[in-house]
Amino acid sequence: MADATTSTEHSRGMKDLLPDEMDRLRAVEDAFATTCREWGYREIRTPVIEPLHLFTAAGTLSPQTLDRVYSFLDWDGWSGERVVLRPDSTIPAARLYAERLDGGRIAKLFYSQNIFRFTDDASSREEWQCGVELIGETGARGDVDLVLLALETLRPLALPDVTVRLSHAGIVRAVLAAAGLAPDEQSSAYDRLLDGDMTVVDEIESRLPQLNGPLRMLFEIEGGGSGYVANIRDTLASAIPSLAPALDDLAFVVAALEARDVTPSIAAVLARSFEYYSGLVMRIETRGQRVAAGGRYDDLVGLVGGRSVPASGFALYMTPLLDLIAPPRRVGEESRVIVQPASDDPSLVAAGYAAADAMRAAGLHVEAVEGMHSLPTHRLSCAESPRFTLTSPDGARDFDTIEAVIAALESPR
Amino acid sequence: MIRLALPTGDLRASTAAMLDAAGAGIPDYAAGSRALRFPMLEGAAIARVFRERDIPVQVALGNYDLGICSYTWIEELAQRFPNHDVVRLRHLGYGAHSLWLASAGDTVDPSIRIVSEYANIAETLARRMRLRRYRVFPVAGAAEAYPPEDADLAIIAAESRDEVEAHGLRPIANILDSSTWLIANRRSLASKDLTPLLTQLLRAGTQNAAPALTPPPSLDLREAPPRAPRTMLRLALPDGHQQVHAKAGFDISGLRVRGYGDSPVVRRPAVDFDRVEIKVIRPQDMPQQVAIGQFDLAVTGRDVLFNHKVQFPSSPLEEIIDLGRSKYSLAVIVKDVPADDLPGALRYWRSRSDAPIRLASEFANIADHFARERHFGRYSVIPIAGASEGFVPDDAEILIEGIETGSSVRANKLTVLERFFESTNCVIANTQRPAGDLRPIFDALVERLRAGAAEPVAATPGGA
Repeated sequence: MADATTSTEHSRGMKDLLPDEMDRLRAVEDAFATTCREWGYREIRTPVIEPLHLFTAAGTLSPQTLDRVYSFLDWDGWSGERVVLRPDSTIPAARLYAERLDGGRIAKLFYSQNIFRFTDDASSREEWQCGVELIGETGARGDVDLVLLALETLRPLALPDVTVRLSHAGIVRAVLAAAGLAPDEQSSAYDRLLDGDMTVVDEIESRLPQLNGPLRMLFEIEGGGSGYVANIRDTLASAIPSLAPALDDLAFVVAALEARDVTPSIAAVLARSFEYYSGLVMRIETRGQRVAAGGRYDDLVGLVGGRSVPASGFALYMTPLLDLIAPPRRVGEESRVIVQPASDDPSLVAAGYAAADAMRAAGLHVEAVEGMHSLPTHRLSCAESPRFTLTSPDGARDFDTIEAVIAALESPR
Repeated sequence: MIRLALPTGDLRASTAAMLDAAGAGIPDYAAGSRALRFPMLEGAAIARVFRERDIPVQVALGNYDLGICSYTWIEELAQRFPNHDVVRLRHLGYGAHSLWLASAGDTVDPSIRIVSEYANIAETLARRMRLRRYRVFPVAGAAEAYPPEDADLAIIAAESRDEVEAHGLRPIANILDSSTWLIANRRSLASKDLTPLLTQLLRAGTQNAAPALTPPPSLDLREAPPRAPRTMLRLALPDGHQQVHAKAGFDISGLRVRGYGDSPVVRRPAVDFDRVEIKVIRPQDMPQQVAIGQFDLAVTGRDVLFNHKVQFPSSPLEEIIDLGRSKYSLAVIVKDVPADDLPGALRYWRSRSDAPIRLASEFANIADHFARERHFGRYSVIPIAGASEGFVPDDAEILIEGIETGSSVRANKLTVLERFFESTNCVIANTQRPAGDLRPIFDALVERLRAGAAEPVAATPGGA
């Protein structure tokens, strides 16, 4: 027979989340969801299974990403149309909007859900995403809202040295188009730029002699704030007039953020997925590590079959975030009581639950069964007489009523 | 013991000659013996014969250390399972052919239909070409017969552009050059001394770069206008060993199908029944084609219908006539197991190991369904293409296989533990009958076939 492996082994690339990890995950999700709701966004959840053609039709996922989707024929897939475990949340959200919500008004949506992509090694093939989608005619004001919302969702997590980096897909598109590159050549050149291959800049410059040199500034310098945007405009816009709309958008967003005491840095290329983004691209980092990213993808809703509606969004990168945040304090960490009957007499068991109800009603944290994560600070034994014995770190005391027990637990020592 | 997987079929003679020239000849293999296993190198190695497409799978699983097969089948495995354990060692210098992407016209449906025996390669090609919407129809063969009515594109193996054109297809691109390759299991290479055989085989090959799948930059085909309603009733008839039974069923119904049964296969024979057109394809590929409405009727085996229905329980397919021919059973076949029934065999295997119980079958969906229904616990299904008798006991615990008289089973010293499904050939149809003026034609043809099926069945040759 084939090699045996232990029957309890989890599937390769899939990850169990243990209680401490779930505490962290919930801390991020709760901070994210609370802030989104406060800012007027509404939660959605899309199906784990979506049609494959939703992702191929969008044309925004690279063939390499599509090679890694979990696709299969469903039980009613005799037509040959495959389905996938969602490899991305934005495309399903765009599908949901086009199919269910498009009434010509702005949709402000958020979600917390998992995505699945195959990896060659045993690294996680299931990732959790907290994401926001802003769909409708919001213009650059929507971009400002998203950057500030992303920062606000991260604020409760107390991350150190948070920085914002911005780019605009329209800038590099304008430059590459002005250089006469075909769409697939643009995509390849973009990826080379992201990989730090600056020889591509020489190739572009050779196609744009009118620039007379300043292109390297755009691709080699990561500048800061409105001043840098003005410098780009001054040096490049006259030679490449098609840069103007992108620079106008970028200047507006940067100025609005600066007015909120956020000074973003500006990079010409920032994120992969050249075909995905159509406008502002943002990335939020803590000490150089990416924790949130997103941008504008105005073509997406139309590509998945809806009316052509602008859209933008961002997602938090949960895997690094869970490692970065401090372990959240557990509810009732300071004072947690285990209630136990003195014997297995059913009436004493019931008396224990009655005592637990009374203490919970008084706002105390009480458990009736001790588990591996209980970590009690007090133990309360229920008996006939004396009715209650409370054991604390400083000793044991007897009480006749649960009210007296509660009073003792609530009184500071 | 070094284990070598060798091809049956078209590559057998060339492979036997290569082995002879390399000093590792197997006389019985060269002579075309029906045996499936051959000792080599005075017992230091054993060779086992497989259908070509099974060889990379068996080498990847580690059941065989070395294998010889066409590059296309290696690539077919690799496109679905990128982490496979197959190492491509040497191009062996024979069996050259290519995979061609071809069409029959200059238009495609909005949801492009691609048909191929190489379904994984077809999926990759569609993604690389960034096709917006597509469906891949995996078929057991005869992919060249599908365009233009039943597919927009076909991916077929051919030795030349002319061979593609001879099928009435327009070659779009050669997407993969192929020839015969020597492959090895990665873990065997890392942990086992294969040199007694490997040294000889390596000498026979040349160290060519492995060919790469090369999609064309674009299809250069227009989107077809919406299809007009069909004016002909469409019937699918089986090729291969089932065609003699299907032909007998038609003959007794007084239906003459001109060219059906000829060699080489006539894919579009004519029938003397007004407004009915026929296409000859593999019987195992018919259920999907009828379910999606490409054909109104098809003659296939009940086992094939069962295999489809356990994969797609709500598929709109039904058997409408039992033609009563091509009778055989699906059976549970084992070898060297001290048990008289399946529960006993399961207890025996479980007592020896917690490893998955492996079921090899050409009917992978039925094997999977069977294992679930019979509470196998941990099991794995190994889909196979043929040469099935050799799989047990070394490469699988159970073979799920169709048997008629059982002579082949006995000849291979195998044991039938249980027969669990009786199959005959039958006519299948979509539960949604053809509309309009095709409906009376459908009813009339069914009536003729039903009348014929009521006649006593005379013995027809075939089956083992």
